[in-house]
Amino acid sequence: MLKPEKTRFFLPLLAIIPALLGALLLTGCSAPEPPELRQATLLPVAKAVADFRLTDQAGRPFTLDNLKGRWTLAFFGYTHCPDVCPTSMAMLGQVQRNLAKDPSTGELPQVVFFSVDPERDTPELLASFVPYFHDSFIGVTGAADEILKLTRQLGIIYGKVEGSGSDDYLVDHSAAIILFDPEGRFRALFNIPHKPEYIVADLQAIKQYYEATR
Amino acid sequence: MKRILLALTLAACSWLPVAQAEVQVEDAWVREAPPGARMLAAYLTVNNSGAEDLVLVEVQSPAFSHIMLHKSEVVDGVARMVHLDEIVIPAQGSVQLQPGGMHLMMPAPEARPSAGDRVPLVLIFADGNRLEVQADVRKKP
Repeated sequence: MLKPEKTRFFLPLLAIIPALLGALLLTGCSAPEPPELRQATLLPVAKAVADFRLTDQAGRPFTLDNLKGRWTLAFFGYTHCPDVCPTSMAMLGQVQRNLAKDPSTGELPQVVFFSVDPERDTPELLASFVPYFHDSFIGVTGAADEILKLTRQLGIIYGKVEGSGSDDYLVDHSAAIILFDPEGRFRALFNIPHKPEYIVADLQAIKQYYEATR
Repeated sequence: MKRILLALTLAACSWLPVAQAEVQVEDAWVREAPPGARMLAAYLTVNNSGAEDLVLVEVQSPAFSHIMLHKSEVVDGVARMVHLDEIVIPAQGSVQLQPGGMHLMMPAPEARPSAGDRVPLVLIFADGNRLEVQADVRKKP
């Protein structure tokens, strides 16, 4: 039997325990806040992407399945573009090298250059162009309607510039970099101007958030 | 390649008149073309310490068939290139041609310049003055 002074101590403790447990449960169950990002726009809900059928620089099929199993950074451009595309691709090369130096990175994302100029950008041309920026980079091209099938799901737009020549035409195109999560879903986009250090930091934060909210 | 460029430079110099003293060009460089790329871009900064605006109307080079004045701009997230007829360098001011902005665009020549090469660029102004500069070929973001 408890002595009166011990009871006085024990009873309030009994009352506190459920409250403490409740607080712990609430903390454990509430979703983490979305990360603060420096450049990326994170979609409130990841957007599933319908399948598409394209070709990589080695002539192999490149479909939605190729966006699954790892993170993907995608840029949409064309090899005849002298300014914005090489600038963005060189910047992505820097991102990849910075990520490789960071021990917390884990597996490197795949970086994919999707051509919005399939008339001129053959797999052979992409095979020489894309690895120049980083040997892990993938170049993808294919039928115009299959490229459109993917791009219109992402809000990526492009078009030949009227008035330019038949073979030396320019192409206007969205400059954003798209981030796909390892389930092949559209997760975030990085608008121009791109800074490699911001992209690295935001990518790491988005990955952590993804792991914490699965 | 370097020898050809040197010869071209010397040839170019022989027909160049004297340039204006109040114009200085800094950090002129050409982006090394990635394999397969058919267009190149070059960048530079033009300083005008004179009392009058300067108007850049043309750039020539013995290393390239032709050079266009261009500007990349991003409108509503879409990058587009705009042809410029001229670039005005304000009096006591400067204009920077840089990646993602104003630049020189030219078709890649058959003998593609690679990082470490230098190519001459001749800036031609509306008042008829010409200024020759040497641009480094660089591989950089």
